Amino acid sequence: MTQSKAHFEFKDIHVEVEGKEVVKGVSLTINHGEIHAIMGPNGSGKSSLSNALMGHPNYTITSGEARLDGKNLLEMSADERSRAGLFLAFQYPLAIPGVTVANFLRAALKSHRGKDADMSDFRKLLKAEMSDLSVDPSFATRYLNDGFSGGEKKRVEILQMSMLKPKMALLDETDSGLDIDALKTVADGINRYHNDQNAILLVTHYQRLLNYVKPDFVHVMMNGQFAKSGGPELALKLEESGYDWVEKEVLQKAEV
Amino acid sequence: MTTMNKTDVEYTIPEVTPELERGPVWLRDQRRASREAFNVAEVPPRGLHLWRYTDPKTFLYDRDAVADTAYSENYDIVEKIELDNLKNGNIAALATDLGGRDIKLNGADELAKQGVVLSSLSSAVEHHHELVENYLYRLVNARTGKFEAMNGALWNDGIFVYVPDGVTVDKPIHLLRESGLARSSQFPRLLVVVGKNAELTLIDEYGGGSLDENEGISHANGAVEIFGLEDSRTRYVMLQRQASAMKLYLTHRAQIERGASMLTVPLAFGALLSKENFGVTLNGEGADSNMYGLLFGSGYQHFDNHTLHHHAADNTSSNIDFKVVLKDRSHSAYTGLIRIDNDARTCQAYQENRNLLLNEGVRADTIPELEILNEDVQCSHGATIGPMDPESVFYLEARGIERDEAIRMIVSGFVDHTLKTVPDDLRQRIGTFVAQRLERI
Ligand SMILES: Nc1ncnc2c1ncn2[C@@H]1O[C@H](COP(=O)(O)OP(=O)(O)OP(=O)(O)O)[C@@H](O)[C@H]1O
Ligand SMILES: [Mg+2]
Repeated sequence: MTQSKAHFEFKDIHVEVEGKEVVKGVSLTINHGEIHAIMGPNGSGKSSLSNALMGHPNYTITSGEARLDGKNLLEMSADERSRAGLFLAFQYPLAIPGVTVANFLRAALKSHRGKDADMSDFRKLLKAEMSDLSVDPSFATRYLNDGFSGGEKKRVEILQMSMLKPKMALLDETDSGLDIDALKTVADGINRYHNDQNAILLVTHYQRLLNYVKPDFVHVMMNGQFAKSGGPELALKLEESGYDWVEKEVLQKAEV
Repeated sequence: MTTMNKTDVEYTIPEVTPELERGPVWLRDQRRASREAFNVAEVPPRGLHLWRYTDPKTFLYDRDAVADTAYSENYDIVEKIELDNLKNGNIAALATDLGGRDIKLNGADELAKQGVVLSSLSSAVEHHHELVENYLYRLVNARTGKFEAMNGALWNDGIFVYVPDGVTVDKPIHLLRESGLARSSQFPRLLVVVGKNAELTLIDEYGGGSLDENEGISHANGAVEIFGLEDSRTRYVMLQRQASAMKLYLTHRAQIERGASMLTVPLAFGALLSKENFGVTLNGEGADSNMYGLLFGSGYQHFDNHTLHHHAADNTSSNIDFKVVLKDRSHSAYTGLIRIDNDARTCQAYQENRNLLLNEGVRADTIPELEILNEDVQCSHGATIGPMDPESVFYLEARGIERDEAIRMIVSGFVDHTLKTVPDDLRQRIGTFVAQRLERI
């Protein structure tokens, strides 16, 4: 692949999990400052794609390419991908008992910066980011995701993103499990983070997040492939009519 | 090799042994009864459940073929740390016990102003003979088992702690017990009585011992008896960080009365082989016992641990959380017995044993045992044995944290809850033990 101006790009990605191919050749180019959304039915491969791009050990990329600012992600370990600027907000964040949110973030920041942050600077930063996301200060000393509600976990994922300031953020159903106010808070957080130097690829089932975080492009994933791409209006149409019509279109194309 | 390293020793305690002649008549009687019991008791058969994982002959050595020797240099370092802790007011007193012989006390005079006794057992036998006669050998004695009888006959000196009714000792009392170098054997003994509505935190630290198997093993056989009278609150932290060619046998028994609480924290990092047995009898209504155990094995270490919660009264509650981390080729066996008497109604008893295996080649065994003689109880137990969850590691890696560091953080997290129960001054040192073991993974 020649060096391109694209910020984040992957080509013909195939992913296997438990010996089964669940992502069957998807490609996408994302430029600086863009927001892309992936929508699609349950089980269509959205999380498998995001996890595989991040380097999850259970999701093997059997072929394809992925680059961030020209750097080949696929030859990097997960921690290297993170330090290269890739971030994944998980659909189901795990609990890590015994590791506090503050210690976790401090270790993550240290690994990104190559040195430990000054303790008081770190505290200030954490406090500010937590307050912006309406995360109670007591969460700093709680064990990561341990006993957190669904919505609290999602907020803490976005907290991690706003502390690490990645170049490329993959957000896997960050809106699910959020109440109406929390959705607004999290969306504000995403918008604060977003600028023309980074980009976002978000996975969602609902238009409601896209009302706040406005995508430039929407892609529909079905059976491990991108079945259709379009602008923000595509999301509205999906919300109204579901996925059947997309499936029919795909079948028709296949018949031709 | 000396005879004591062979496993086929048929040692009997001779009739004339200096320890047997020590103390007043009642004590000499106890010692002789212990000698007798030791000599006639069979070596426990391997099939017996408590001996399934450790050969009992390990603890049967020719005691007379060995002598006390010098103590390791490391001892002085720890003593200095703890003396500083004493000076800085982090602990109330420090007692150092060299192989159950030389017992040095620091801070005992200050405690005496509150009526608290911290002394050698030999001195307590003289000065507090009623207390000692009443309590010593009540929980760990000739009937407990062959090796308990061995300690009962051969202990030289030990430590005695007494907190009078209603007195709170607001800082930990720290006991530092040092084993001798190669080819020595010791029989440390501890007696603790916490009076009614009194409060005590005790750190009982076992160090020293042979550093090199080629020079010979050193042995220790310890006995701990703790009494928590009505409404007392006791915290007992036992830290075992003995040297790498040390073999330890230790039996701890505590008994708590009505309304009393007991926290027992067995922490084990050291010794080549250790068999430790911690037991609490809940002897009065509403008594409450918690145990938070942690062991971290590396190299070829072998750990064999038992816990016992014996509910002998109504409305008593107990909880055990015993955590094990193993790396290299280490082995841990854990047997946890919950016994609820026929006439102990509405009790609660919980037990959990989690084993984290850091590499292949380690071995963990876990055996929960329940003897519940009445229906009116709430009881649960659980055990897990397994490697670290790769998904957890991935989560940390996905935030840029390198794999080794991620593993270190997760292990530290695994033990964090246990370490929170340990007094501040000790927690840092224990954190260092954990960190040292996690340096190479
Ligand atoms: N760890 C796994 N083990 C086995 N199968 C898996 C695993 N992860 C995903 N799959 C399978 O891969 C397919 C795609 O799942 P994936 O989670 O990627 O879907 P998704 O599009 O994210 O769905 P949803 O919208 O429900 O989150 C499904 O059939 C799923 O069962
Ligand atoms: Mg998904």
